[in-house]
Amino acid sequence: MIGCYDFCGHYEWTFGWLERVGGHELVRAYWNEAINHDSQRHARDLIINGGFEGMAKYWGHTLLEESPDLGFAITRTDEVFRIDMHDCPSKGFLLRNGLENYHDYCDHCMGWIGPLMKDSGYVIDHEHNHRGQCWWDIRPASSAGESSKPGAIAGSKDVRLRPDWNESPAQLDRYEKATDSDDKL
Amino acid sequence: MNSESALPYRDTKPQGAPDFYYAINATFRFIISRLGREAWVRYLEEMGRGYFGVVNECWRTGGLQAVAHYWRDFFAAEPGAVVEVTESADCVELVVHECSAIKHLRTGGREIVKEYCQHCYFLGRARAEASGLTMRLSGGDGCCRHIYAKPEADLPPQDLAQIKEATS
Repeated sequence: MIGCYDFCGHYEWTFGWLERVGGHELVRAYWNEAINHDSQRHARDLIINGGFEGMAKYWGHTLLEESPDLGFAITRTDEVFRIDMHDCPSKGFLLRNGLENYHDYCDHCMGWIGPLMKDSGYVIDHEHNHRGQCWWDIRPASSAGESSKPGAIAGSKDVRLRPDWNESPAQLDRYEKATDSDDKL
Repeated sequence: MNSESALPYRDTKPQGAPDFYYAINATFRFIISRLGREAWVRYLEEMGRGYFGVVNECWRTGGLQAVAHYWRDFFAAEPGAVVEVTESADCVELVVHECSAIKHLRTGGREIVKEYCQHCYFLGRARAEASGLTMRLSGGDGCCRHIYAKPEADLPPQDLAQIKEATS
């Protein structure tokens, strides 16, 4: 049986298998069709219908279930829904267990959340450092808002204020007003 | 009895998050619809030999005791699973009274891939063969019976008709 306890391990293994079988486009299709439109359809319902309130319900439940030690912070303003991930339960699982079958596991989040936000009328500013830390600013697509400065929205909970956030600048992946995993700057 | 966990990949939580069963079901649906059933079987077989290779090696060296230890620890980490694991001289039997995946998928109102229960066979067979064992499965759709046996147990061939289609 494939279990849920080590889900992140075989999920990441699956990315590598799909890429070997069908290339990058098959992996992208998997994130959008299987994860965004099928597995996470409860997230789609909440966010498409509820906007920021739906995001709070979805990530409030999901992140608490996956990360009971609260290795994350959610901050809301009128313009922005922000997530600061200090200890990603998913990437952390892979790092602790030495698992790597795909070249950039972190891309899967933008791979399914990006198309979801596009369908919901939002865009994303995002960075991840491949060590289990990332941040997300989600704004209405019509917003003229710039990417937030460190600490401007989440205060001391801003992951970019960590001394170890940018230890390897070359490993930082960045997106601006994006909805596609291939929109990496 | 060895109290150290038999699970090769460890999390900080004692049990997994059951919503991940939604993704497993969706992954099966995607692969079957995009690539076909034969590719899905290959996916499971390659995962069995690759991702689970470290477990297979433990089974190969540790024998049936290691197999039983693994499955006890495995199901203890799956939320809602009700499973008995029995070890005898030539086999380990898993009697699944309540499959945590099928239960959660139903509770969540998900359309379950009808081949869902076959994944335990194709994955289990590949893992067993890599460990010098044989595997058989009967039942399904929430309750089933798995047997991991030494070759000398001389189990009859697997009849795929003995594995039920999953229903939502």
